[in-house]
Order: sequence, then C-alpha cells, then structure tokens
Amino acid sequence: MIDSKRIIVASQCVAIAFVLVGCGGGGGSEAGFEPIDDSAAVMWVRQTTTAEVLLNEIVDAFNAERVGLPVKIEYAGDYGDIYRKVSASIQAKSLPGMTVAYESMTTEFAMTGAVQRLDDLIADPEVGLTEDELADFFPGVLETNRYAALGGGTYSFPFSKAVLVMYFNQRVLREAGISDPPRTWGAFVDQCRTIKQKTGKFAYAIDIDCSTLDGFLMAMGGDIVSEQGDAFAGPEMLQVFQMLRTLVDEELAYLTPPRTFEDRSALAQDEVAFIFRSSSHLAPIGELMEGDRDAWGVAVIPQHDPEQPRTVLYGPNACVFAIGDDQVRTSWEFIRFFSRPENSVKWALGTGYLPVRKSAAELPELKAYWAEWEGHRVPYDCLTFARPEPNRAGWQEVRGLVEVAAKGVVTGIRSPEDAARELSTKATAILKAAAP
Amino acid sequence: MTRFIRYVLLVVGAAVMIYPFVWMTGAAFKTFSEATRRSLRLFPVHWQWQNLADTWDGAKFDLFFVNTFWVAGWVTLGVVCTSLMAGYAFARISFPGRSILFIIVLATMMVPFEIILIPNYRLILELGWYNTYKALIVPWCANGFSIFLVRQAMRGIPADYFDAARLDGCGHFRFLLLVAAPMIKPTLVTVALFAFLGTYNSLMWPLVVTSDERLRMVQYGLVVFAGGEGAQRFNLLMCAAAIVITPTVILYFAAQRYFQDSALGAGLKG
Repeated sequence: MIDSKRIIVASQCVAIAFVLVGCGGGGGSEAGFEPIDDSAAVMWVRQTTTAEVLLNEIVDAFNAERVGLPVKIEYAGDYGDIYRKVSASIQAKSLPGMTVAYESMTTEFAMTGAVQRLDDLIADPEVGLTEDELADFFPGVLETNRYAALGGGTYSFPFSKAVLVMYFNQRVLREAGISDPPRTWGAFVDQCRTIKQKTGKFAYAIDIDCSTLDGFLMAMGGDIVSEQGDAFAGPEMLQVFQMLRTLVDEELAYLTPPRTFEDRSALAQDEVAFIFRSSSHLAPIGELMEGDRDAWGVAVIPQHDPEQPRTVLYGPNACVFAIGDDQVRTSWEFIRFFSRPENSVKWALGTGYLPVRKSAAELPELKAYWAEWEGHRVPYDCLTFARPEPNRAGWQEVRGLVEVAAKGVVTGIRSPEDAARELSTKATAILKAAAP
Repeated sequence: MTRFIRYVLLVVGAAVMIYPFVWMTGAAFKTFSEATRRSLRLFPVHWQWQNLADTWDGAKFDLFFVNTFWVAGWVTLGVVCTSLMAGYAFARISFPGRSILFIIVLATMMVPFEIILIPNYRLILELGWYNTYKALIVPWCANGFSIFLVRQAMRGIPADYFDAARLDGCGHFRFLLLVAAPMIKPTLVTVALFAFLGTYNSLMWPLVVTSDERLRMVQYGLVVFAGGEGAQRFNLLMCAAAIVITPTVILYFAAQRYFQDSALGAGLKG
C-alpha cells in the first residue's frame, strides 16, 4: 500500500520538475518564423459582430483590387488572449501575417525579432507613403508606433484610435445652475462643489484606469516619463492624486467597481454630472441616454492651460510579422489600405473609433456625422493635441502600479504624497530594468 | 424548531444561489439601457423577445452548439475509456513502476494550464493539427483527475469479487467491463460529467488552436457579445449566457443522482 502523504509529496516534486523542464529551452529568438497559413496573410483581431462585418467588408475591398496573396481576418480573443496566442506562436515560430496589438505588446513581440520593422516599407516608392500622406496623419497616431527602445524604428501602424474625453450630464448641470462644462481643473472642482451643494448629488463617478490617470497627468501639464527615463517624476501625478482625494473627502466623487461600466449608468441616470472615458464609449452612452441629445454632452477634459490642451491617445495598432516577403508586403499593403481616409472614416463611423488622417475631415460622410450633433466632432478635434502613453517595455507592469496607487489614494489607504512618491520610484525602476 | 431553522437557512442559501440565474434571465430580455440601470427590478418592464433572435443570429449558435457537442462527446468518451482502464490498472494490477507512474499521473494535476499552453500549442502545430477537430479533442482525452477518481473507486471494490471472477475464468478486461465498471457507475458518470463540462466551458484552448469560425465552440458565442472598449452589449451578453448554460443545467439535473452517489459513495476515500 502506498503512503498517501508520500504520493502527494512525490507528485508535487514531479510537477515542479515538469514546470522546470517546460521553462527551459524554448524557441530561439532568431529569424525563421513561418506563416501559420500559406494561402493568406492572416490578421488576428479582436473585433466581433458589426465591427467584424465592417472589417471584412474592408478586407474584401482590398482583396478585390489586388492580385496576389489575399488577406484573411481571424478572431483571436481579447487583447490578453491575443498576447498569449502570439507569444505561444513566437515560441512555435509559426505566426500570422499581422495582428492588432497595443504598444506594450508590440515591444515585447519585437524584442524576439518576430516583428517586421516598417520604415523601409513606408519609404518604399512603390508601396510606401509619400511625405504628404505621412503629414496627413495626426502626429500622435504615428509617434506612438515609433519605438525609442527599439532604435526608434516603426514596428506598428495605427489601427483603431480613440482619445480620453469628458462626458457630462446636462440635466444635472442645469439643476445645479451650471451652463457650460469646466475647462480647467480648478473650475472642475468648483463645479463639483456647486453640484453637491445645489443638488446633493455626487458630481463625478470615478473609474480607476491607468490611461485616464495618464490623461489627467498630461492635462495637468506633466509628462509620464521624463527625458532621463524617470516615470511620474514631476509634481503632476501628486496633483492628480490630491485632487482625487479632495473630491472623495468632500463627497463630491465616488469610486465605481472596476470593469463594470457603472459610471456610465450613473451618468445616464442623472446620478452624477461627469465621467471620463474613451471616445469609443460615445455610441453606448448615447444609447443609455435613450437618444436625448439635449441631456448630455462631450467635452475636452479639463486642463491646466486650456490654450495648450492635452489628452491621452489610445487604441491598438497593427504590427506585421517577419514571416516572408510576400506575407510582409501583403500585410503592409493592407494596413496602408486600411488607413486611407475613406476606409478610416468608414471604420470610424461603424465602430466609434477615430479617423487617423486629417483629410478625413473633408469627406461628406464625416461632415454629415458631425452635423448631426456637436458632440460628435469633439473627439476628432482632440486628435491634434492627443498624446500616446509610453511604448516602452515594462509599461504593462507600470499600468498596474498606477491603478493600485490611485485606488490607495481614493480609498484613503495611502496619502497622495506617499502614493505618488512610491509610484514614481517603482515605475522608474521597472522601466529601467525592462529597457533592452 | 431546529428543523425550521435548518429549512430557513436552506431556503436562504438556495435563494442566494438562484438569484444570479434569475437576474441573468431578467437582464437577457431587457433593453440595453434598462439592463445597465442600477435597480432592484429583476424582470424587464417590457420583455424584449427580439433579444433572443438577435443573440442567436449574432453569434452562429447553431454551428457552435453542433461543434461543442461533437467535440465534448468525443472527449467524454475518451476520458471515460482512458480513466477506466488506467484507474483499473493502478488499482488492481501489480506491475513494476506502478507507484512512480501513478505519481507522475498525479503530478500532471498540479501543473497549471498556462504552463503547458505553449508547449502543447507547439506540439499541435508540429503535428499539423492546427485548425482541426483533433486539436480540440485528442489532448483532453485523458487526465490525471479522472484516473485518480476511478482508481479510488476501483480500490473500493473488494478483492473477493476479482478472485471469484478469476475462478470462473474471467480475465482483466472482462472483469473490468462486466463487473467493475457497473459497480462504479456513479463515479464514471461523474468523470463523464466533468469531462463534458470541462470541454463545454473551454475557451482559451480552442481560441489558441483554432482560428476558423467553422470550428468555434459555444463559449466563443459569449465572447462575441462581451465586446471591448465600451462596445459591450450587456443585455445580449446575458441572453447569450442564458442560452449557453441551458444545456449544462439540463445535463446536471439529469446526472444529479449519480453525481451525488459518487460524491457520497465512492468519494475520495482510500
């Protein structure tokens, strides 16, 4: 008879051995990546339902006007799933033609040698982009695809872009006697106090999200990472934390559970006056407001200096994998095709993302959309000054730290000073350690 | 009085368990606006029956259900066969290295899925099984937990049964099929239930080893409505969840008696 305890201890030892063996070796990071599908340039995406249908329409248009390898769209899960699937595929040296990815994901993929640097293709006289075409892109949407940590190369290209905006409830503002949303942070806090005083309601439902906090920091006039590579080194993150603490302490704002979208519901039900979200939430918030366009609005987030506004730019890009000339060229040509103003506008109107090129403003479809309601144009105007978050290795880990620090401040566990100091120290250490 | 308190506690416990399902069903037939509203109202003001059609059409559930039952059926059959034979061998047959082999089988239960994901994916690619049913079925046709469960149940069968069967000329295979398997039916039903539900609920593995929509399974249907970057359709997501859990609830009730017998009878003793 086998002793049960001995079996358990022994099986645990074997399990650890499995894990250690599994961790060893692995694929190299040298070239030699193969296409997962020889018959098409596969693009891994996270779009479903109407967005997937629209994307397939654009793909069909691309395939129809071009002879050669076709492009094929494949759903690969959410961004976490895509990250895992691509990581596994890099290990297996079998990759799709391209994938949607955030900058932090692209950085990690590129460090294995799997991602195609796009600069030569962009400059190619046959399939590249002219100087005028490049100048037509909003600066932020291109800037975020150049990776300083990877020699300043362009390793991805804009795919779906959005900006941080402020959504406000007109009914609550009217009840409090406020005619216009705030343009500065000082006016924002003052309006929150007025709303509380006149209506008894909370003014702001807080959704803790790193990108939102980065947008606040930018609009306070700060930089996320200094030229020396120090993260949150200026006083602006402390000012953001102090403002959040003031709002919570004076019961002007409250924290909503993460990933519940409760702030949107609170806004729609006249429980709060302000929320801060990506411009991609415009359509669902409109639906929650049940079509009453007089009841709400969209505005640029409050600023330290309204004459020099700033906000955060987010949304995924597309990166091309180095799996052979034909695959690379087809993938790049599709990405370029996708960024054409007419396709960019089609994508924007169907999904709520933003067109990435300035000339899109001249297209009648976009003009008609803007003419429907003044709030429709606000996010597009933000593109001229929106800035991306850092595209450095280690940034994904820093995002978690930012959210933990902000939660500590809002819940009263940490003082704003301690949270800001600790965040700066830890984030700087992570980014420097992760630098290639 | 004690009995009354016990029943009150049971009713409260049952209500706590049932509430999320009732809430999900109610939200499934609300408008998007009503579904996201904070309210104690469980059921919609106006039932949106159209949600059912929108959900069904939005995610090709007919195809996903066929795929899921096909894959889960084969996996269940595979798991029952492998665990029955391996469990019997570990419980009843003496052979060199039995202990160390059993330890290795147990050890596989302690390695997290995330650790084996990449090596398994590489293996699937090297075998040329990417985007095939084989990739969805074969890797899950044996598992340590089921073997362990059957082995424990087999050990509960008195040795006298085997000795008597041998005297009557019965070999291992006949004894296993005609005597042992019927005696551990509740355990086998439990093993089958776990295998079926494990496959039915799987999302990550099918997403990794397939990309062809024709091979997608029902959990993918939920993801379709989860959306992203604010695009989540909460009411349709709840409707999809209600559709997806219905077969598993029916299956659980059908197999409930065996499951309870297994837990109380064979259990994990030995």
